[in-house]
Amino acid sequence: MTDAKSIQIILARQLASSIATPVLLVDAQNALIYYNEPAEAIFNQRFDETGEMPAAEWTSRFTAVDDDRNPIPPNERPMGRVLAECAPVSRNMWMRVSGGDWRHLHVTAFPLVGEKGQLFGAMSIFWAI
Amino acid sequence: MNVTLWGTRGSLATPGAETARYGGNTSCVGVIGRDGTVLVLDAGTGIRGLGKTIATTVRRVDILLTHLHMDHIQGLGFFAPLFRPDLEVHIWGPVSSHISLRERLMRYLSPPLFPVSLRELPCMITLHEVPCGEVAIGEFRVSSALVCHPGPTVGYRIVDPQGGVLAYLPDHEPALGSTAFPSLPLAWTSGAGLAAGADLLIHDSQYSAEEYPRHVGWGHSSFKDALAFATLSGAKHLVPFHHDPSHTDIDIDRLMKEAMALITPACRVTTALEGATFQI
Repeated sequence: MTDAKSIQIILARQLASSIATPVLLVDAQNALIYYNEPAEAIFNQRFDETGEMPAAEWTSRFTAVDDDRNPIPPNERPMGRVLAECAPVSRNMWMRVSGGDWRHLHVTAFPLVGEKGQLFGAMSIFWAI
Repeated sequence: MNVTLWGTRGSLATPGAETARYGGNTSCVGVIGRDGTVLVLDAGTGIRGLGKTIATTVRRVDILLTHLHMDHIQGLGFFAPLFRPDLEVHIWGPVSSHISLRERLMRYLSPPLFPVSLRELPCMITLHEVPCGEVAIGEFRVSSALVCHPGPTVGYRIVDPQGGVLAYLPDHEPALGSTAFPSLPLAWTSGAGLAAGADLLIHDSQYSAEEYPRHVGWGHSSFKDALAFATLSGAKHLVPFHHDPSHTDIDIDRLMKEAMALITPACRVTTALEGATFQI
């Protein structure tokens, strides 16, 4: 077989590409594998241009700080915590991508778990505050 | 390997003069290896006929279920080899998060739906839940993956020692929710990993392009999408399968012609016909 995505990840992308809520998807290694058009508007960059990115690359491009403007390290951000804890995470944060404008967001992330309990990745939604 | 179509119909067995050529039995495909390995893909009503051809010298049969919808298991209790005490039968079927494969199969194979309980069958039955990575079954290497269809459903990829590949995805809707189908990369298309480069791809083609929009989310493909999927996955020979019960032989001929006019497939196409045999 080729290096196919799991059906859970494929369906998550298909859902994300069909809704107006900004959505970002990562795989179980926290590699960024997709964000939809509404998320492109927040990140000010198109997925077709950036493509998939390893964890180190996208977490350095995406700068995150808390409401007191303290930096949030990658392992404390929602996606990092979801993958480590395999549980949903929801919090406020400020975010900017590649030196763009700061956005004040509420981010909710949750794990994508298969029938046998295997972790396929995580999905997060972004809500402008 | 030798591949025989014992049931090509989807959803409901449809006997009668109007379906006599493509066949009225529901999904079942027999695969025989050069060393005699016997695989049975799905246990629709077509499995009854297949059962009659299995020699008494065969000691093991593997039944690979894609899912447990009725049209894929209804023939199981009528598979005569299950009543042979000397036969080892391995049944492979999709995992569910809460209910075991045995428990789900017993919902059908137990009274009042069927007079004989699974545990009362004389043969030696072993159940396996899939997907479980690549496994060796006789001379074949078999892999499976969940695909887009309501409820846990897998497709199978069967590779023989010579490298011949059969891909079997009888119930599959790769276009569901994918605004970009079929132009997304292979890795992002349901089932494409199973079908990649297959010598023979047996694939769902239940609807016409005109019917499909009224059945989005039902888990099936149009002829047109089956052709597009075959092209995307690089299959060499497509067998459109799982015909809609409302389609007569004449309808199927017409729908196939219409689909071929919309998409020129990059591979050979042979519409599934009950009794047809393919060599890989």
